[in-house]
Amino acid sequence: MTRSIEDYLKALRQELEGCDPALIQDALYDAEEFLQSGLEAIEVTGGEDTLSLVIERYGTTEEVASAYRQIDDDPSPVRYKPQKTATPPVETSAPTERLKRVSFFGIITEPRAYASLFYMLLSLATGTLYFCWAVTGLSLSISLLILIIGIPVLLLFLATTRAISLVEGWLIEAMLGVRMPRKPRSFRDEGSWLDRVKMWFSDYRTWTTLLYMLIMMPLGVIYFTVAVVLLSLSLSLVAAPIVQLFIGDPMIWIGPWGAFWIELWMWPFFVAIGAILFLCTLHLARWIGRGHGLIAKTLLVGSL
Amino acid sequence: MTDKETMDRGKDDSIDPYMSKFIREMNAGTVSLVLLAVLEQADRPLYGYEIARMLETLSTELAQVKQGTLYPVLRSMERSGLLESHVEPSVSGPPRKYYSVTETGRDGMERWKTVWGEIRDFVDAVLEGVNLDQVD
Repeated sequence: MTRSIEDYLKALRQELEGCDPALIQDALYDAEEFLQSGLEAIEVTGGEDTLSLVIERYGTTEEVASAYRQIDDDPSPVRYKPQKTATPPVETSAPTERLKRVSFFGIITEPRAYASLFYMLLSLATGTLYFCWAVTGLSLSISLLILIIGIPVLLLFLATTRAISLVEGWLIEAMLGVRMPRKPRSFRDEGSWLDRVKMWFSDYRTWTTLLYMLIMMPLGVIYFTVAVVLLSLSLSLVAAPIVQLFIGDPMIWIGPWGAFWIELWMWPFFVAIGAILFLCTLHLARWIGRGHGLIAKTLLVGSL
Repeated sequence: MTDKETMDRGKDDSIDPYMSKFIREMNAGTVSLVLLAVLEQADRPLYGYEIARMLETLSTELAQVKQGTLYPVLRSMERSGLLESHVEPSVSGPPRKYYSVTETGRDGMERWKTVWGEIRDFVDAVLEGVNLDQVD
């Protein structure tokens, strides 16, 4: 018998076991919204009867779970193609797409690869920011814990990490195409604020989020370096023969051996090698993006 | 009382399992069109509970959809680009996700209406009786 909204959500979570954690989170959120709104609207004298009425309208946990499962089974829902209107559909929230096979040259038209590359470049900035925020907040609040003022500082700091994890989730979903929750983790209405604070501390995701913020620094540096080195190398190989024409000086300088002219017969090789390297960079970016998305998902969403 | 019994309570005895399966399948086919229509006619974005209530007042007891099954459809339609949404905090309970129709959705609605009209006419025609002489 379902005695509270909590019970219903717990049952629904069990029913959805094995599904995408982000999907479970969405499902729980929807259920909570409905049941909460329903309870408010009914305004009867409370009690079990009222809740079971609302649940009857919402459906049993089995019915609801199977409706969500159907969506989850559909890996890439059909994007709706307008017939003649010019407005392209707004890219709102991509499902976690299975990494489909892309041919070696086909990558050039793969938007996800460019988005991942952009994410790699951006991650130096975000990674540094997260790291600084985590280290400053953590050391500040822990050292202030000796005084009573440390407690509110720590709580404030944890609240910001939750917000940051949500924003990073949006970023990752938009750029890497890995499905992330679009809403914050549900805060339960039950219990005093003390209970809720306790939940923050006992929730392991609070700590894995902090871990994510810390490792984003080295990861960001690596991603950025890889992206910059590969991009500049491949693009300069393509451009070198042409640029050489304009500046009239040799483009290649190798230490003590001096300068080398790119002879005319070498041109196609330079351009071809540069182009192939660029394609490889895009492939690599796509794989890194996918891998990073999974790391982020594990640490920020966890398995419910 | 178990959940199952709670659910069955108040239901017409005439709804046998096969009947409810039929109703479920009919609803599954039309729910996207219905949701799109409700949101298109609304002059402001609506959140899940509002939409569910609106449909509840319109539908008969037989055609009643389990309202929990509307939410995943809304999410799926958003992913297809027919709907867009934004989240607003509510006074109590979790923040609400407000849905509205995109341009693509409006365009789709027009064409879906045509398809629906054709399907309805076809089914009606068959129900009214097929003239076997016309079928070769």
